[in-house]
Amino acid sequence: MRTLVKNIEALCALPGVSGWEHPVREEILRQIGGSCDCSVDPLGNVIAFKKGRKTPKNKILYSAHMDEVGFVITFVEDSGLLRFAPVGGIDSRVVLGKAVEIGDKRLYGVIGSKAVHLQEEKERSEPQGPDKLYIDIGAESREQALEHVSPGDRAVFRAGFGRLGQDKLFGRALDDRAGCALLIELIGRDLAYDCHFSFTVLEETGCTGAATAGYGVNPDIAVAVETTTASDIAGVDPDKVVCALNSGPVVSFMDKGAVYDHGLYTLALETARRANIPCQPKQGVFGGNESRALQAARGGARTLAVSLPCRYLHSPACVIGEPDLAHTATLLEALLEAMAEL
Amino acid sequence: MDITKTLLEFSAVNGVSGRESAAVDYAAALLRPHGDTRVTTLGSLVCTARPGPPGAPHLLLDAHLDEIGMIVTFIEEKGFLRVAPCGGIDRRLLLASTVTVHAAGRDMPGVICSVPPHLAGDADKKNKKVEEIHIDIGLDAEKAKEAVKPGDLVTINAHSRVLLNGLVSGKALDDRAGCVALCRALELLEGAELGCGLTVLLSSMEETGGGGAKTAAYEIAPTHAIAVDVGFGHTPDAPKEKCGELRKGPMIGFAPILSRAVSQELRALATARSIPWQPDVMGGSTGTNSDHIAVARGGVATGLLSIPQKYMHTPIETVAPEDVENTAQLLCAYAKKLGGIG
Repeated sequence: MRTLVKNIEALCALPGVSGWEHPVREEILRQIGGSCDCSVDPLGNVIAFKKGRKTPKNKILYSAHMDEVGFVITFVEDSGLLRFAPVGGIDSRVVLGKAVEIGDKRLYGVIGSKAVHLQEEKERSEPQGPDKLYIDIGAESREQALEHVSPGDRAVFRAGFGRLGQDKLFGRALDDRAGCALLIELIGRDLAYDCHFSFTVLEETGCTGAATAGYGVNPDIAVAVETTTASDIAGVDPDKVVCALNSGPVVSFMDKGAVYDHGLYTLALETARRANIPCQPKQGVFGGNESRALQAARGGARTLAVSLPCRYLHSPACVIGEPDLAHTATLLEALLEAMAEL
Repeated sequence: MDITKTLLEFSAVNGVSGRESAAVDYAAALLRPHGDTRVTTLGSLVCTARPGPPGAPHLLLDAHLDEIGMIVTFIEEKGFLRVAPCGGIDRRLLLASTVTVHAAGRDMPGVICSVPPHLAGDADKKNKKVEEIHIDIGLDAEKAKEAVKPGDLVTINAHSRVLLNGLVSGKALDDRAGCVALCRALELLEGAELGCGLTVLLSSMEETGGGGAKTAAYEIAPTHAIAVDVGFGHTPDAPKEKCGELRKGPMIGFAPILSRAVSQELRALATARSIPWQPDVMGGSTGTNSDHIAVARGGVATGLLSIPQKYMHTPIETVAPEDVENTAQLLCAYAKKLGGIG
């Protein structure tokens, strides 16, 4: 089995914009197919069941999303330039000047605009919305472009993956391939209790995949394994930091999408303390994840979110801490035992 | 010479203004077969291709080796780097870019910090100036100060790739495309018995004021010169009257600072030899090395050829190899004409 970091790198290298998660799904099925029961539901979620040594009192689901933010080609201009829309939340200011890969053939394109020398001061200072930008694949006509691209094709930033400093990693799509890799890691372990897993689609566009996965699995307890905003960067006031890299997994009491089960929240902190691993609360009500959908599926499930702190979410270069990975895997395994007998 | 391959390779070499030595090394290998090479006090590379008969005209061909980048000015409390621009960086594309910090002894990756959307205030609705950004190198202050020193240079990471129609995209093609055109021109002139002197100058520090070309032109003391730089390639958001188009040949400069005779000769030669060309008319000076070369010593009859380029001063600068070839063909025709054999 690959190391966790190597597997994150492998998963981040695959494009998987919402609705076009198939490269990630195929890789996950390839990796876990031999070690658990798994199936693909109608929306494309991977649903897996791993037999443990014991049967838990509660049916437990760990969920991570396969999809990532990116772009969808909307229109091909007569000039051969491609118009696009963002899929999921992307800061307008991180788009320009970047290279992208389009579609399954990973066609290379660039997002440019007129040279800095030709810009008025206002154009230099104010971000351009994606509706003003285009992708250039080098095509000289609509006809030529359409030989290579179709409206509806997804595109991702072309981005590298690597170590930053001594104990951090940077890469595209760490949100939430890091979570997927953690679930794969758990599936590979000899677990104390039976556990269900879902690798979901369409999180970034409204948590649609989690809604049907939650319905299908019908858990008593659902845990979203995610990445969450770490603002431990220069120039941020302490009350806005939210969480910090290499300070352990982050557990949420509330975000913009869900109020979490308070018993599970305190159990997570207590479990981390007993396991002697660092753990931090998400300090602030920001963001959201597929817990909101898992929580409301069928008659409802008690939910918790356990996240890796991550800087620069939804950008071509997200940053996570390497020690947080092992600590999060340890917490998730210990939590399974703690939640099984609640 | 394989122009595409050379463009791709040369684009990947780093050489921010003032520290062009890696670019000098790459280019010297291309120039050495064509004449004696030397490096000037300010770091420009000079190749004496034809010393020329005494009293004969002497032609200087110039393109600049340096590229835009950033320079580390300060290391913050939390280990984040502050920088200043070297040359006209397009501030709109900085956030979430990955960079390489060229520290003493080793290169290290960095990520330009972006404030997560939940913290974005009014100040974040503007594009940050280069002096306002922070670079995350994943190290705390103590380790960052050990590893990186003020004065270290930073480049934005880029991929050098071929787009459709053979277009080449990457960083530093302003003005490595010009450098490649000059090398190709020397190849075309191989064996030609010119009745004039010929020197190729790949100049340093163009992006920070043109010091390289200014001082080298003084030393070389040519009678005639042609500077080769990149010109604005048209994109739909740019004014047509200030742009050329890719794949339509070199842009011949017409401007008060340029020699009318040289410009007209270039136009006549292009027309006579069926080399595609386009006009590039400017009202005063040109913003290129030709402004400096024209006023070297007692004055030099100077022309300007610009290779049309999209997305100037970004990591996705894009040129057409055939424009590089046609520029070389026109330079070759001019040298032969001046040398009495064309």
